[in-house]
Amino acid sequence: MKEIKADLISKIKASFDNVTEKDYDGNRLDFHVETRIIPQILTYLKVNLGYIHLSHISCVDWLEDGEFEIVYIVWSPEDKLKVFIKTRIDRETGVLPNIDMIWRQANTYERELKEMFGIEVDGLVAADEFLLEDWEGLPPMRRDFDTEAYADETFWHRPGREDAMDVREAIIERSREEIPDFAKKYSR
Amino acid sequence: MINDKNSQKIADFIKNWARKHSIWVLAYGTGCGAIEIPPTMTSRYDAERLGVRGAATPRQADVLLITGYLTTKTLKRVIRVYEQMQDPKYVIGFGSCTINGGMYYDSYNTIKVLDKYLPVDVYINGCMPRPEAVLAGFGKLQQLIAEGKANGAQKYKDDHEYYRGNLRKIIGNKYEMPLYNW
Repeated sequence: MKEIKADLISKIKASFDNVTEKDYDGNRLDFHVETRIIPQILTYLKVNLGYIHLSHISCVDWLEDGEFEIVYIVWSPEDKLKVFIKTRIDRETGVLPNIDMIWRQANTYERELKEMFGIEVDGLVAADEFLLEDWEGLPPMRRDFDTEAYADETFWHRPGREDAMDVREAIIERSREEIPDFAKKYSR
Repeated sequence: MINDKNSQKIADFIKNWARKHSIWVLAYGTGCGAIEIPPTMTSRYDAERLGVRGAATPRQADVLLITGYLTTKTLKRVIRVYEQMQDPKYVIGFGSCTINGGMYYDSYNTIKVLDKYLPVDVYINGCMPRPEAVLAGFGKLQQLIAEGKANGAQKYKDDHEYYRGNLRKIIGNKYEMPLYNW
C-alpha cells in the first residue's frame, strides 16, 4: 500500500500544481487541490490511473471560514485505494465545475448539493427541484439554517418534552469538556 | 323495525364483531417502522390468527398504519391514500415519531404530531415498537371497534376543515390536493 500511495503522490504532483496531500492509515489518501483543476484531476485519475469508481461527492460547510469544502471520493478496484479530492469554494459566490461528462451519475450528487447547500454548479443539467418540494428560503443543510427554530415555527409540537437536555450539555456535565467558542452559538 | 332501538343495538353488535375480526392493513410503509411489519405478519408472530392481513390497495384496506416519521412530502400522499380508503377505516400511529416527533423533533422536514392531520385511533409507543407491541395495538383497536369507539373516520368527516387547514399550513398553497368527496 505504501508504494502505491507514494507512486500516486508523485504522479499527481508531477502533473498538477498546488496540490497538497494528506496520508491516513489504511487505504485512504487525501489531496487538497484548486477548484479549477477538479475536472482535469478527476479525468486523469479515471483514465490514466484506474480510479474508475466515483463513490461519493460530499460537502462540508466551513461557516467560520466562509467556505464550502467539496469532497470527491474515488476508488480504484486494482489499487484498493480510496482517494479523497478536496477543494474549497467561497460560500456565497463560489461556482463548482461540472463533472457529469466524466461520470454521468455525478449529476445526482450535484443536484443534491445545489438543493441542500445552494452551491451553484457550472452547466448543471436539470437544475430544478430535486428532493424537497416547494422549498423556499435558505437551503436546509447549511449550518446557518436554524433547523429547530424552523421546526418550531412550521410544525406543532406535543407538549411534554421541554425538559429534554442538549446532548452537548450532558457530555460537558459528565466529562468536563469545553464547548469551542464557535459552537456555542449553535448550542441550546 | 330497523329503527327500533334494540334491533339497532343487535345489528351494531354483529357489524362490529364482524369488522373487528377482519382487519385488512394497507401495505404502505412511510418510515423505518415498516421493517417491523414482516415479522408481525409472518410465521413467528402470525398476525393473521387475529384476523389482521395485508391489503394491496387503499380501496380494499381498513387500517392505515403510519409506520414512523412522516415527511411533509409523504404527508400529502398519505392523506390522499387515507381519503381513498372506504369506510370503515382506522388509523394506527406507529412509533414515537408519530406521537411527538421522536428523534426528529427538530427536523425541518418531518411533522411532529400526527393527529393534527389524520384522526388517529390507536397510538403504539416505541422506537421501534416490537411485534408484540404491534399486536397489542391491534388488540386495542379490536377492542375499540367492538365497543363502537373507533370512529376516526366520522371525526375526519365532521372536522374536515380543521384537518385540511392544518395540512395547508404545512404544505403551502402551491401543491394541489384533490377535493375529498364521499
